[in-house]
This record gives sequence, structure tokens and C-alpha cells, in this order.
Amino acid sequence: MIEIKNVSKVYRSKKKEVIGVDNVNLTINDGEIFGIVGYSGAGKSSLLRCINLLEQPTSGEILVNGQNLMTLPAKDLRQARLKIGMIFQHFHLIEQKTVGENIEFSLKAANVAKDKRNGRIKELLAMVDLSDKQDMFPGQLSGGQKQRVGIARALANEPHILLCDEATSALDPTTTTAILKLLKKINRELGITIVLITHEMEVVKDICDRMAIMQNGRVVEHGSVYDIFADPTNPLTQEFIGSVVSFDIPQEIMQTFTGTIVKVLFKGDTAGQGIISDMLQQFEVRGNFLHGTIEYIQERPLGIFMMELIGDGQDIHRAITYMESRGVTVEVQ
Amino acid sequence: MFDFAHFTSMLPDIWTAFGQTLLMVGISLVVALVVGLPLGLLLFITSHGFFAVRSASKKANRIVNNVFSFVINFVRSIPYIILLVALIPLTKVLLGDTTGPLAVSVSLSVAAIPFFARLVETSLKEVSKGVIEAAIAAGASPWLIIKEVLLPEAKSGIIQGITMTIISLIAYSAMAGTIGGGGVGDLAIRFGYYRYDDTIMIATIVILVILVQAVQISGDLIAKKVNKK
Repeated sequence: MIEIKNVSKVYRSKKKEVIGVDNVNLTINDGEIFGIVGYSGAGKSSLLRCINLLEQPTSGEILVNGQNLMTLPAKDLRQARLKIGMIFQHFHLIEQKTVGENIEFSLKAANVAKDKRNGRIKELLAMVDLSDKQDMFPGQLSGGQKQRVGIARALANEPHILLCDEATSALDPTTTTAILKLLKKINRELGITIVLITHEMEVVKDICDRMAIMQNGRVVEHGSVYDIFADPTNPLTQEFIGSVVSFDIPQEIMQTFTGTIVKVLFKGDTAGQGIISDMLQQFEVRGNFLHGTIEYIQERPLGIFMMELIGDGQDIHRAITYMESRGVTVEVQ
Repeated sequence: MFDFAHFTSMLPDIWTAFGQTLLMVGISLVVALVVGLPLGLLLFITSHGFFAVRSASKKANRIVNNVFSFVINFVRSIPYIILLVALIPLTKVLLGDTTGPLAVSVSLSVAAIPFFARLVETSLKEVSKGVIEAAIAAGASPWLIIKEVLLPEAKSGIIQGITMTIISLIAYSAMAGTIGGGGVGDLAIRFGYYRYDDTIMIATIVILVILVQAVQISGDLIAKKVNKK
């Protein structure tokens, strides 16, 4: 478990102070994939780098499995870092060393005996599908392959946490999907907790269990990805979700509708139960679908529909109450 | 102008002088590498505070950096010809002698150490900060990072630094001839300058040009060959 308690990071230069992270409190549970989302400059990278103390927080505490990293002597901090892997947007591989030697570096950091290293390197390369690239140099690999080496290197010492600093932002969409799949596999098969930061909402939607949205160094909203997608409260969160699931209906078209516009939200099992058709049969209400989608977030469906309900005000009210009684969220626009 | 018979008769002297130049450059290069490399590393590490987590050690880093930086700038601000003369007493204490290639190697080393140290520092600065951070995040010790990240990543640049140091040393060693240091420069001054011996003058220039070109070309080749980027 990672506990971030009242963490602030202030960058001081001669002329001014810049607040990178502003009093953040977050708890990241074992075995989950936690996404931190925000625009660049929101402080998400600083926050992530505070977790393994690449950045020393100005105040607050970082507890990893109950151990306060900030009070550890340098040697113990290195020991703790062996168990916190990290991958980067620009991979940061040692250019002058082969793929195998890059992974070996991590093993050397943990004082793994020489005769055991090669076996472990082969094991790790097999895990990331790069068994044939052991003697290549990073300069000879594609971006996706470099990130796989980065992942293999980060996992060398069997960490319990993997920090991902915009790990897919430099990759094309197909490679991004492949890397995300690999991260998910690592999370499921090895039980490694993953903390990732990204500005791409797609990434969060695809693999994260929980998420936090950051703005100006603060966490403005956090919770389960599903709940946040279903019901974002903060305007920034709405904006981010809008980039993936958009329900904008052009104003001119909106004005042509005479009925009541409602947003209907189906969560999980309620999706596809035919609630709407039941409602339409039971009440004196006609309905028009204006917009709609069913998103699958962590394999759970989330249905969002925009509807125009036409009929008597009383009937519409009762129809809405009926739908709500069947576990559907209805928002009158 | 160029008297071939005279050149042939002088060949043994030219050979001796050439050997002395190589000896001077060789000794001081070894000293410069042995002392300058760690010094350059120290300058780089203390200027970045990579291995200093807490602010107290960051401050200590800054102090060490300022002190060494000052000493290096101090030595580098003295023109070699003056350093050569100024270090005669030190040479006498160290070797009991102030002439000959060995004696001159003292001042050559003193000049080459800060020169090479700065070149090492510059090549280390070229190493990607991200790669160093990744190594820190991996839990590697400072020593491991120096050995396995900093030096390999800066290797190509350091080799170019060695090339530049050798060429500078060849130039300095010619100046050392003025106080009886021996070598090709000494030969050029004694014959070419005092005796108006054009043959020797041309011969020494040709030797020096060939030497410098050979060093530069092979240095570039090696630097390129070791770079896997």
C-alpha cells in the first residue's frame, strides 16, 4: 500500500516559488492499477516522482507498506527502491549497453550473484516478448520494444510497485495498446501495484481500477474509474471524460426539441435490461434517442443515453421515477 | 632550403627528440588520466547533487564543487609558458633536476590535469539526466551508477577529450623546449631558430603535423567505434 499524506512539493528558484504538488492525500491499494490524470503542469509527474523520492517532497509523508521513505538513510532508501520499479516516457535506457546489460544493471543494483543473472535476464525478456533482442543495443529497437526493455528492467528485482511516468505517451496507438495489455498482464499475473500518470483518458479507461484527477498541484477528484466515468462531478473531470465519451449535441439541434431532454445512465448489470422499452410501454410517453453509447470499463458496461421524452408533464415525471426505481440514474437536462 | 643530406645526418637527433616528445606526452597523459578522470567525475557529481538526497549533503556538494572549480580555474588561467617556469622549484623538489623530458612532465601534468578534468566534466554533462534518474530509481548505488552508467555513456566523449588532451600536450611539450625540456620543440628552437636551420625547422613541423593528424584521426575513429547510439 502506498500512502501519500499531506504531500507538497515547492520548487524554489531565485525569483519565484512554484508549487508543483499542493497538499495531496491519496492511498493506493495493493494490487490495483491507479491512474493519475491531468494536463501537463498539473503536478502529476512531480507527485509520481515523490513516491520513490526522485523528488524530495517539501512537506508531508510517503509511506510504502507502512515504511516512511523520507526518514530512511540513503542505503535503506536504495533497498526500498529495488522494490519500486519505474518506467519512463522516453525509456531512459543505457544507450551504450545491450538490452541484456540494461536489465543486468538492475540485477547488479540488487547484488544478484553473477551466475544467476543470465537466467533471470532470459526469464524477463521472455515475459516482455523480446527473447531474441538480448544482444541488441537500444538504438536498434523501436519505441515499443524500448519500453518493453524498460519494463523488463523495472521488474528485474520483483518489485511490488511499478511507477509509470507517461509510459505510453511517446508511442503510437497500436503500440500503446500492446504496452497497456502487457502492464495489465503484469498487474494480474504478478500482483504488482501499478501507479501510472497520463494525459490520455483512454489509458485510464482501458486499464485503471481507480483514478485521481489533478489540477494546479491538487487532486480535484478521485475514486473508482467506473464511478467517475458514470458521474464526474468536477468540471475538469467532465472535460477529460468528454474527450473519450462525448455527448455534445449541437445547440441548433437542441432548440428543435420540444420534449424533456434527459440523460439516462445504466450502470453494470442494469444495462440492456430493456428498462426503457418497459417504461415506454407502461407510460403515455414517447421517446426519441438523441445520442448514446455503451462503454465497457473494466469489463463492466456503462450505458449513457440522451433521450427526448414527449408527453404530459405528469407522465414524464412518473416515467422518470419508474426508471430510477429500476436502478437507472436519470438527469433532466 | 631543405637539405636532404643534412636531414639524413640529423636523423638520429630527430629520432631522439621524437622519442622525448612521446615520453613527455606519454607520462603527463597518464597522470592527467589518472588524476583528471576522478576529478572530472567529482566536479560533475557535486555540481548536480544527484547522489545527495537531503539538503545538508547538497550544501556539502556545493562547497566541494566551488573549491575544486576555483583551483582548476586558477591553474587553467596561467599560460603554460609561465606555469613551466613557475613550477621549476617544485620540479626540483620532486625530481632533484629541472631539465630533460622527465622534469618537464611535472608542469605538463599540472597543466593537463585541469584541462582533461573539465573535458571529462563536459562529456558527463552530455549524459541524459533521465538515464541517471532511471538508475537512481532502480536503487543502484552511486558507485554502480558511475561505473555502469556515467562512464559507459560518456565514454565516446571522454575519448574525444583524451584526443584533445594529447594534442594540447604535444603543443605544450614544444614550449617546454625553451627551458631545455628536450623533444621536437627543443630541436626546432635550437636548430631552426638559433641556427636558422630550415631543414630541421621543416622536418619538425612535418613531424608535428603528422603526429597531430594521426592522433586526431585515430581518436575520432575510436570515439565513433565505441559509440552504440
